[in-house]
Amino acid sequence: MEQQLDFLVDKVVAELQKKLSELGEKAPAQAVEQAVEKVVEASMQPGAQPSVEVNGAAAFQSDVSEEPERTAQIPNPQWKEGLDELLTSTPARIGVWRTGVRPLTKTMLQLRRDHAAAVDAVYGEVRQEVLDQFSLFTVETQYDNTENYLKRPDMGRILTDEGVRLLQERCQKKPQVQIVVSDGLSASAVDANLKDVLPSLLDSLKSYGLSCGTPFFVKGGRVASMDHIGEVLEPEVLVMLIGERPGLVTAHSMSAYMCYRPRKGMVESERTVISNIHRQGTSPVEAGAHIGTILSKMLEQKASGVKLVL
Amino acid sequence: MDEQWIQSVGIDVGTSTTKMIVSRLRLGRMSSTFSLPRYQIVERQLLYASEVHSTPLIGFDEIDAEGIGAILQEEYRKAQISLSSIKSGAVIITGETASKKNAQHIVHLLAERSGDFVVATAGADLEGVLAGKGAGAEKRSQTIQGTIVNVDIGGGTANAAYFQRGRAIATVTFHVGGRLIRLDQQDMVTYVSPNIQAWLSAKGLRITVGQRISLAEISEVARQMACSMLDYLTGKERQISGLLVVGPQLRGDFPVEELTVSGGVGKLMEGAPVRSMADVSRYGDFGPLLGYVLQQEREKGTYAVNWLDPEQTVRATVIGAGMQSTEISGSTVHIKPELLPIKNIPILKLELTQEQLANPAQLHQEVAAIYQLGERLFDKTTGIPFALAISGIGYCSYALLQTISQELSDQYRHYFAESQTMVVICETDMAKALGQALALRCKGAPEIICIDQVRVEYGDYIDLGEPISGTIIPVVVKTLAFDEKA
Repeated sequence: MEQQLDFLVDKVVAELQKKLSELGEKAPAQAVEQAVEKVVEASMQPGAQPSVEVNGAAAFQSDVSEEPERTAQIPNPQWKEGLDELLTSTPARIGVWRTGVRPLTKTMLQLRRDHAAAVDAVYGEVRQEVLDQFSLFTVETQYDNTENYLKRPDMGRILTDEGVRLLQERCQKKPQVQIVVSDGLSASAVDANLKDVLPSLLDSLKSYGLSCGTPFFVKGGRVASMDHIGEVLEPEVLVMLIGERPGLVTAHSMSAYMCYRPRKGMVESERTVISNIHRQGTSPVEAGAHIGTILSKMLEQKASGVKLVL
Repeated sequence: MDEQWIQSVGIDVGTSTTKMIVSRLRLGRMSSTFSLPRYQIVERQLLYASEVHSTPLIGFDEIDAEGIGAILQEEYRKAQISLSSIKSGAVIITGETASKKNAQHIVHLLAERSGDFVVATAGADLEGVLAGKGAGAEKRSQTIQGTIVNVDIGGGTANAAYFQRGRAIATVTFHVGGRLIRLDQQDMVTYVSPNIQAWLSAKGLRITVGQRISLAEISEVARQMACSMLDYLTGKERQISGLLVVGPQLRGDFPVEELTVSGGVGKLMEGAPVRSMADVSRYGDFGPLLGYVLQQEREKGTYAVNWLDPEQTVRATVIGAGMQSTEISGSTVHIKPELLPIKNIPILKLELTQEQLANPAQLHQEVAAIYQLGERLFDKTTGIPFALAISGIGYCSYALLQTISQELSDQYRHYFAESQTMVVICETDMAKALGQALALRCKGAPEIICIDQVRVEYGDYIDLGEPISGTIIPVVVKTLAFDEKA
């Protein structure tokens, strides 16, 4: 009873916030229009770069492409092999050299490129063909828009009424394993890794003989939207593959959050996570296979998070 | 499970001495709780070191298995450990002993009698590397820029291993050892190893059995032998000194910065000066003198290398065998616990290029070529013909994983239809995914064992131990090079 009440209060607050932001939207919208005009003006000038859209599209493509090889910028290092050893030991920006007291232009451009990729990852959208490949349908949370999503994590934890209706209509109830995919803070993480993690996970479930419900995609999701989904579908275990907060090392990192019998009022310590899933981090196919193992252990032990013995 | 100790034993049966140690290895989780589990051996402790026993022989060239068995039984009792508590370790038959008549038989016998997962091994390369690890040269190499070479000089052979930045980069073995020339109390030469005859005549040195020898004469032989070995190791001269080399010569120059000498002769370097024939022949051979002339070379500083004291001398090899031979596989693997442990599986290497990976037809051909090689090299068996070691994959997408596993499993079932278990070793962290993909295709015929993050070379053998806490597999990579000629 108390949980249901909490749930209602959250929903009402989220709804009110949405109304408020709609009222206040007029002013910022004008600012955006002005900014766009400036960009258009700039591109009209002779010698300027062609249209903004083309650049945007190119950047989007390169999201998933390979990182350029890292080399140190130090001219004539005293001990090159040692420097190479250090470079392979960390993704941090070391051995970048300097010009005067400042970084090289190359280093600055690299940093800004990586920062831009991180921003793109937050503001980007998961490509529809990636979702179609695995026949994932989309439900939304009450996040409304990306700005609001960033300011109001609580709204990303609750599905819209339409979303709940879709789940009830299209998903198998009380499945053994429920797989959920969400953009979270990095849409490009889903673009880059889903095609490797998800099929490997499905194979793993198959080899453990576990049955899987109807997977779907949550737009504007936060990790704890697992709880709401848990209330609606009542799976035995749930795994959410969600884009991580992008950093300057990679913008395409994905996490898998798993829990046993997700429900309203779960605490964070009841969730198990495998993070840092990307090309240069935890291998996506290996992660997929290992998630299956963790889920099967959760079912065996009827526990997750700190209570789960791995 | 965050940490666990396993007990490991090392047994070294050398030309002149036999020793044994007991150690324990601590396995610790190296990855955070948010990552895939990854365990490593984080600490190695020596618990017990036996005395140095003379190797019991029957006649001249046969090892007394019962004698060694008795020594070990006594040492196990003294060390107060039971066979069942030993989870890993190695028996190594070293030096000229490996070519003695019954070496192969003995080493397997000992492995069976010394604990569940104690492996049998022989071969000069591995011996040199283990001695270098035991002597601390590998550890030292991680702290310096240049190359360090450790040479372990025993009774019959000297095994040298070059280390750079924590990796063994080359090994070479010499016919240099304390027992190659033997003397009695009357200064009479009783034995000269036939292995050094070519070198002796090239150097114009004369020493024959039955000859009464003076201190000056035998000192000259010892000095020349020590210098030839040092010439070779430092690359100063390799024509004549190369005559002392056992097996393959070194390929390429390795500029050496630091040098350590371990083994029985390394220990004798610390001894008192050898001033009389009585000092020379106190063990019935010229070992003490060999140690003494090496010490003199060190003091004279003729060679442009920095001589360091090794961490271990006479026990370097046994400590290497007991404490450094065990590795841990990656912790996300595909195994069937009931099939483990498995021992003495030869390695077959599949080295893939990006081009082959991008082109299914080329990949198909490459896999076929390797399997055909495996068919020729190894006997047909219902067990495990070989372990396939795959390298060169780099980043593996799901699509690529499917292509690779399809090729590997289809062709394996074609070429090795009778084999009931397939063993695959990957270089990068992908064993669970690959093992799962193979198992889904093979459905138990054959069963799949797939591990990763173990570096193996063609010609190696591998032993896989029983899993500790479910998924941590102790692995020993070794050579089994018994000299068949002798």
